[in-house]
Amino acid sequence: MTSASLELRDVGRSFGSTRALADVDLDLKAGVTGLLGPNGAGKTTLLRLLATALPPTQGQVRVLGLDPEVPAERTGIRRQLGYLPQEVGFPRGFTAFAFVDYIALLKEWTRPAARHAEVRRVLGLVGLSDLGSKRIRAMSGGQRRRVALAQALLGSPSVLILDEPTTGVDPEQRVVLRTVLAEIARTSVVVLSTHQTEDVAALCERVIVLDRGRVRYDGPVTDLVAQAAGRVWLADEPDPAASVSWRTGTGRYRNVGGRVRDGAEHVEPTLEDAYLLLRGGPAENRVEHETSEEVAS
Amino acid sequence: MTGWHLDDDIVRRYAEGTDSLTEGASIEQHLLSCGPCRARVNAAASVTELSVIDLAAVWDRTRDTIEVPRPSGFERLLRAAGLPAHEARLVAVASAFRSAWLTGVAAILAFATLAAAVGHAHGLWLFLAVAPIMPCLVVASSYDPWLDPALAPELVTPYPALRLVLLRTIAVLALALPVVLVLGLAIPGQTAFAWLLPAVGFVAVVLAASTWFSPLRSAIAVSSAWLAVVWLLAARSGSPDTMLQTRAQVGFLVLAVASFVIFLVRRQRLRQLRPWR
Repeated sequence: MTSASLELRDVGRSFGSTRALADVDLDLKAGVTGLLGPNGAGKTTLLRLLATALPPTQGQVRVLGLDPEVPAERTGIRRQLGYLPQEVGFPRGFTAFAFVDYIALLKEWTRPAARHAEVRRVLGLVGLSDLGSKRIRAMSGGQRRRVALAQALLGSPSVLILDEPTTGVDPEQRVVLRTVLAEIARTSVVVLSTHQTEDVAALCERVIVLDRGRVRYDGPVTDLVAQAAGRVWLADEPDPAASVSWRTGTGRYRNVGGRVRDGAEHVEPTLEDAYLLLRGGPAENRVEHETSEEVAS
Repeated sequence: MTGWHLDDDIVRRYAEGTDSLTEGASIEQHLLSCGPCRARVNAAASVTELSVIDLAAVWDRTRDTIEVPRPSGFERLLRAAGLPAHEARLVAVASAFRSAWLTGVAAILAFATLAAAVGHAHGLWLFLAVAPIMPCLVVASSYDPWLDPALAPELVTPYPALRLVLLRTIAVLALALPVVLVLGLAIPGQTAFAWLLPAVGFVAVVLAASTWFSPLRSAIAVSSAWLAVVWLLAARSGSPDTMLQTRAQVGFLVLAVASFVIFLVRRQRLRQLRPWR
């Protein structure tokens, strides 16, 4: 089998008159790619296109070299695909085991012994080994999210599309999930969206930043972080020169962007700093500060 | 989950049965969640020749007993009818086939039958109002994405949704028709069988309509329309026998065939497949 890959050529998707995604050109290979972007940036739409849950209104999508527009090829893709939608509905009264077992049936695991072993394996991967017989309705939000993630991991798919996999999951379990995903990404294409920049920093070699349906940044995480070098500093007060400031655990303020004052206490930038810098913060404010500074000087 | 494992000494004591009660309890607690240690205990037990049991196999069987959902009576029935085990489960797992639902449907039908069996015309009208719509309501609820979210187009799986919808439809008909036929025998006269063609017709209409609307809404609309028609006919003091007239029965047959043809033509637009027309 050729190495796993996803290709998008000039892809766009509209819902009525709303353009959710426009002019997306991407090539994705084995490894973890993170999708960042504000709400409504088109992350979920892009993931649904990749997961064959939605056809594009423009351009071409190829998953593992197959065309999702052709029914037989679409089924071929789905045989090698794991998808965690943003929202998963669970049938009433199902236990975690029964739900994952049901999805395994829909994924053509016909032999009971092999299927049950696989269901146990994926429940184990998400740390739910002991909760297989618990009803999903009685579970916490984070546990439900992990049940939903477990079904995506069935059969160690070549393509794994995860829409906010860590939402509601506690920090300890997030660390466990990172290890699991990193292992799968050695041979599979993993694409995940998240609002947690730490997840992207810990997991992804590559990050794609979407904004209003367009790709704003696409490249190595390290390069994006490097863009923020020298533009992050600590101060006792929120610095009006910064485009974004917030209070940290030490009680001091972290300032990102804008013009750095002389003698400011520089710190190593994180992915979050770089992301906020790329988003620009409220750009008008920055101009305003700059003008007022000039007036003052 | 933790990186900690039983050391060799503990494993040996446990296998020989020379461990203390408290030690044994905590060892067993660890074994519950640690496959590698279970394998080591198994190996140690074989060496000491106290017992040669395939612990892993016993463990899997135990878990199966606890975790694997037991097949419902309906699922066993489907298997007996020749459906492969995995498809029997896929069909029977729908909420519509829960015993609580089926019992409810059966109770309504039994009540209508009883009313009709008493012989009063109103009783017969009630039976003719209720019996034809039951199958289409159960069919719709067997594949409505709201009741079975795993059939929403959002959850992409290689299993053909169309096949599942048809299998569940056939299962409903195979289950419902004999039951209502038997109940019909309790009713004097032939009018009791007038419901058969409308019932099949309404199932076909719901299949066709669910290429536009949600299956449940379609079934509720069809049922409401039928109840209105029956109420009008009964109010105009028509005899229930009008339903047995050839004209009416042929009408239902045409409805059934036409709807099924529409469904076949539009099958790729079924809600479960909708994004990919």
